[in-house]
Amino acid sequence: MSQGKDSLANTFIVATVLCLVCALVVSASAVVLKPMQKRNAQLDRMKNILAVAGFDEEEIRETGVEELFKGRFEATIIDLDTGEEASEACKAAMDSAGKVLGDIVAEYEQLWASKSKKGEEWAKGDDNKIAICRKLDKKEDKCGIKYREKFSHVFKKKSADGKVETYVFPVRGMGLWSMMQGYMAVKPDFQTVVGLTFYDQKETPGLGGEVMNPQWKKKWPGKQIYDGGDVCLRVIKGDQSSNPYGVDGLAGATITSNGVSNMTKYWLGPSGFEPYIQKQKSGSSSSAVIQTVTPVETPAVTPALTPAATTEEPVLEGSH
Amino acid sequence: MATQTSPKDLILDPVFKNNPIALQILGICSALAVTTKLSTSVTMSIAVIAVCACSGAAIAAIRDRIPSSIRIIVQMTIIASLVILVDQVLKAFAYSLSKELSVFVGLIITNCIVMGRAEGFAMKNSTYDSFLDGIGNGLGYSLILIVVGFFRELFGSGQLFGYDVFKKQQIVDGVAEGWYEPNGLMLLSPSAFFIIGIFIWILRTWDPSQVEEA
Repeated sequence: MSQGKDSLANTFIVATVLCLVCALVVSASAVVLKPMQKRNAQLDRMKNILAVAGFDEEEIRETGVEELFKGRFEATIIDLDTGEEASEACKAAMDSAGKVLGDIVAEYEQLWASKSKKGEEWAKGDDNKIAICRKLDKKEDKCGIKYREKFSHVFKKKSADGKVETYVFPVRGMGLWSMMQGYMAVKPDFQTVVGLTFYDQKETPGLGGEVMNPQWKKKWPGKQIYDGGDVCLRVIKGDQSSNPYGVDGLAGATITSNGVSNMTKYWLGPSGFEPYIQKQKSGSSSSAVIQTVTPVETPAVTPALTPAATTEEPVLEGSH
Repeated sequence: MATQTSPKDLILDPVFKNNPIALQILGICSALAVTTKLSTSVTMSIAVIAVCACSGAAIAAIRDRIPSSIRIIVQMTIIASLVILVDQVLKAFAYSLSKELSVFVGLIITNCIVMGRAEGFAMKNSTYDSFLDGIGNGLGYSLILIVVGFFRELFGSGQLFGYDVFKKQQIVDGVAEGWYEPNGLMLLSPSAFFIIGIFIWILRTWDPSQVEEA
């Protein structure tokens, strides 16, 4: 044992060298492995899109996630405010925000766009800057996302003859602990749910974490979304098998259940994908049944208050 | 501990005679949390073996230079760096498993076994011995994890590594099939306590010297 190992100088030297070496190891591993991790996350999301659109696990495993996704899905970017397809505008806006992407449709990350907080205030007074997200006021922000990106992905599942069979929308909302991120799949009539899935959530395992439970996910397909122009789909306590607009809540996870409810309501509503849905409905041939009465050309900045929300707030027994 | 022991003993002692979970009752929390499935148990085991062995070796290598006033911090820094490394590797090569293990990989840092071996063994022994000791203790931990994971997955969901072993009782297209009714309790934490308890019982019956005096 060296004599001076407990000296002040040695303490400082050991601490400094150790920190440097450890920092180097950690950052090197993070940098080297990042491309692989990113790809894994991408594949995981594709897998979730496939699953929510109704492909079963065996089919996914046999064909391979990427092949199946590329073969059956068409990814687009839309402007959530106007409902138009807008990959060029999205590219321009992302460029102005300092994130230059090659293949915009494949590489655009809408979560990054909303987290960047580069909204109207950021773009104000500078012609070179285009806002990529918008700050939501309290009233509009039903699901706790604070900032909503201007551009969103939409994934279309196509049949062999090119007809769209399912639309998959990325959705997210605050649960009890975490931002729950997932996908919602709807039929081309924009009235019937095909499925809902989450690829990232950190709710309490066994309670709120049950949003990942396949048994619970099974309750979503076939449920109806709009009634008279408002999103009526919601999570309510109790058996909902006879209610076309209700999904049974998770026992012991009131806040998570409310979070899911608010999330679907927000993203299918006027501040979410409704402008896009309206565009698709008016654009497509009359085969789609149009149940909504209010054709919204320009999005309403303040959302319509849903009268049912106050009377039928889902309340579950027990909370975290 | 300071007496010379053969490499074989260094590895095998902590597995049966001085098991960190069964005898020292360390590292229980993660043993409860990650053992609902065999695949997560095995992944967690490998991660702990890697961290335990590498941290032991790294700390032993610089043990003569570590000032005693900051030795715990030095050990923690090394262990934490290794845990982050393991977490990054898992995210890159076993994404879905790392998603299931979520925070518990990060929590290896707080696993008493790793810290205990660093402070109790690696600070006094050679690099090679510490490495073997780390593997041994990691294996001791793994043994329990895999045994618990095996029973929990088998009885809790009727599967092993995600493949059906017991045919589950369910109705497919109106026809009842299968015979096994999964035991939901096995998927909850208390069942891990029961299994670890039974394991300790069997182990101490087999080797009565492990029984503590009342």
